Amino acid sequence: MGIVVPDIETGSKKNGSGAASGFRIIPRIEAHAGIVTFVQRPLGKALLLAAFALLLRFFVPDLGVERSVMLPIALITFFPEYRRFILAVVPIVLVFHVAADSLALGASLSVLTTAMILYAAVMKWPDSGFARRPVATLLFGFTALTVVACVAPLHSLYYRVLWTLVGTWASYLWFVCYALTDRSSMPKRDLTLELATLRPLWNSTFTPFPKGAAYLRRIEAQTPQELAVTQLKGLKLLVWAMMLAIFEQWWFRLFHGYLRIPSTVEALTMSMHGTPAPLLVRWESQALFFFELTLNFAVIGHQIIALCRMAGFNALRNSCRPLSSTTISEFFNRFYFYFKELLVDLFFYPTFLRYFKRHRRLRTFFATFVAIVFGSSFFHLARDWQFIQRDGLWKSLIGYQVLFFQNVILATAVGLSQLRKRGPKASSIFRRRVLQPAGVLFFYCVLGVFGDESRLYTLGVHLKYLASLFFIRL
Amino acid sequence: MNLKSRVRDFIRGLLSANGDTGDLADHDSILISGRLQSIDAVEIVVFVEESFGIDFAKVGFDRERIDSVDAICTLIEATSQYH
Repeated sequence: MGIVVPDIETGSKKNGSGAASGFRIIPRIEAHAGIVTFVQRPLGKALLLAAFALLLRFFVPDLGVERSVMLPIALITFFPEYRRFILAVVPIVLVFHVAADSLALGASLSVLTTAMILYAAVMKWPDSGFARRPVATLLFGFTALTVVACVAPLHSLYYRVLWTLVGTWASYLWFVCYALTDRSSMPKRDLTLELATLRPLWNSTFTPFPKGAAYLRRIEAQTPQELAVTQLKGLKLLVWAMMLAIFEQWWFRLFHGYLRIPSTVEALTMSMHGTPAPLLVRWESQALFFFELTLNFAVIGHQIIALCRMAGFNALRNSCRPLSSTTISEFFNRFYFYFKELLVDLFFYPTFLRYFKRHRRLRTFFATFVAIVFGSSFFHLARDWQFIQRDGLWKSLIGYQVLFFQNVILATAVGLSQLRKRGPKASSIFRRRVLQPAGVLFFYCVLGVFGDESRLYTLGVHLKYLASLFFIRL
Repeated sequence: MNLKSRVRDFIRGLLSANGDTGDLADHDSILISGRLQSIDAVEIVVFVEESFGIDFAKVGFDRERIDSVDAICTLIEATSQYH
C-alpha cells in the first residue's frame, strides 16, 4: 500500500510509491518547526530577507531595481499588518518611477484612474449591463481605442497620445479585467488589494500572476506562522528558479553554442531558402524549442511567484512538473498555470455558464474553444500591439494567421482531451510514466512548428515545413 | 441521503478520479488549494446545476462558492428550494 504524500505545490494528496516519491532536491524547510519559529523572530526575518535579496541579484543585476522590490518586501515582513497598504502604494510609485516621459506618465495615471472608476461603477451598479459583462465591455473598449488609433494621422499629437494609451491599456488590460470580475466574489470593496494588483510589486508579465485581488485575499498569510511558511516557500522557489536558470544557460551553450543546432526560425529560414538542415537536425531543433520554452516559462514564473510569496501570498507555482503530464489538457494546466487560469476565468466560465446548457459535452468543448481561440488570440494581439501600430490592423491580423492556426489546433486537442472520460489511471508504470507523457510531449513539440512569434512566414510555409518533418513534400 | 453527504460523496469521487485519496474535511479548500483543476470545477457546476436546479448565469459564479463541501451546501441552501 502506498504512502500518502501531500503535494505542497498542487495541494493534492496522492498515493506515493515509496521513498522515491518523497525525495526533494530542495528540502522542505517550511515543514521544520524550528526554522519556522526562527523566521518569525527579527533576526530570522532579517536573515531570510538577506538570503532572498542575495539570490535575487542573480536575476536582477541592477541594485536600484532590486532595492525598489526588496524595500517593500522588508516592510511587509516586519509590518505585515500594513501589507495591503504598502502593496497599494507600490503601483502608484512605480508609475512615476518607470514612466519614460510625461505622456507615458499621464497615460498610466489616466488608466489607473479609469480602472478605479470602472471598479467603483461595477460595485455600485452590480446589475447593470456593464457589471454583468465587464470583460466583454472592456475588450470592446480596448478594440475601439485601437481602431481609432489606427486611423489617427501619422506622427500627429493624436497619434502619439492614442498609441501611448493603447500601449498602457494593453499592459493593464487583464489586471483590470480581474478587478472588474470581483463583482461576484467575497468580500467586496477592498480597494487596497484591487489597486495593488493593477501593477503588482512582483512585476508580473502581461498575464496577472497570481490572478486578481479576489484570489490574493484567499491565499494571504493571516498569522506570523503562515507568513514565515509562505516566505520560506518563496525562498525555496527562488533557489529552484536559479538552479533552472543556470541549467538553461549551460543548455544553450551546449546545444546552440557548441553543437550549433539552429533555432526553429533558423531551420525554417534554411528550408525556405532551399538549403534545409538534415531531418535529424530539424527534429532536434523542434525538440529544443519546446524544451527551452518550457524551461524559460518555469524560470520566469518561479521568480514572480517567489516574490509574491515573499510578500505574504501563498500562491501556487506557475509551472508544476509539466513534462510528467499524461494528457494534453493536463500539460496545458501545468505548463503556464496563470495564463490558463486567465483564459478559464475570463473566457471559459462566462461562455460555459451561458451557452449550450443542455448539451454537456458540446458545452465544455465550445467554452474551451472560445477560451483558447478567441481569448488567447485576443491576448496575444493586445500584447503585441506594436505590430498593429507598425503594420495596421488588417495586416497584423493576417500576420497572426500562424499563431491563430496554432490556437485552433490547441483548442481542439485540449477540448477533446477534456471530453475523454477519465477512467482509472493506467496500471502499467511504463505506460503512465513514459508512454503517455511521451505522447503529450510529442504533440506539443510538433505544435511548436506554429509557435513562431516572429510572424515572418505564412501559414503555408509552416505547413510545408511540418510536412517535411514527416518526409512529405508539398 | 442528506445534502452534505451527497455533496461530500460527489467531491470525494472527483478527488478519487484524480488519484487524491487524502483526507477531506467539509471546510477544506478543493479548488483554490489546487487539489482539483478547472475541469473538475466544471463537473461541480454541472452537478449543482443538474441536481439542484441552480443557474450560475443568474446567481453569479465565483469559484469560492464551490470551493469546499460547506461552501457548496451554503450555496445550494441559499439559492435553491432544497430541503
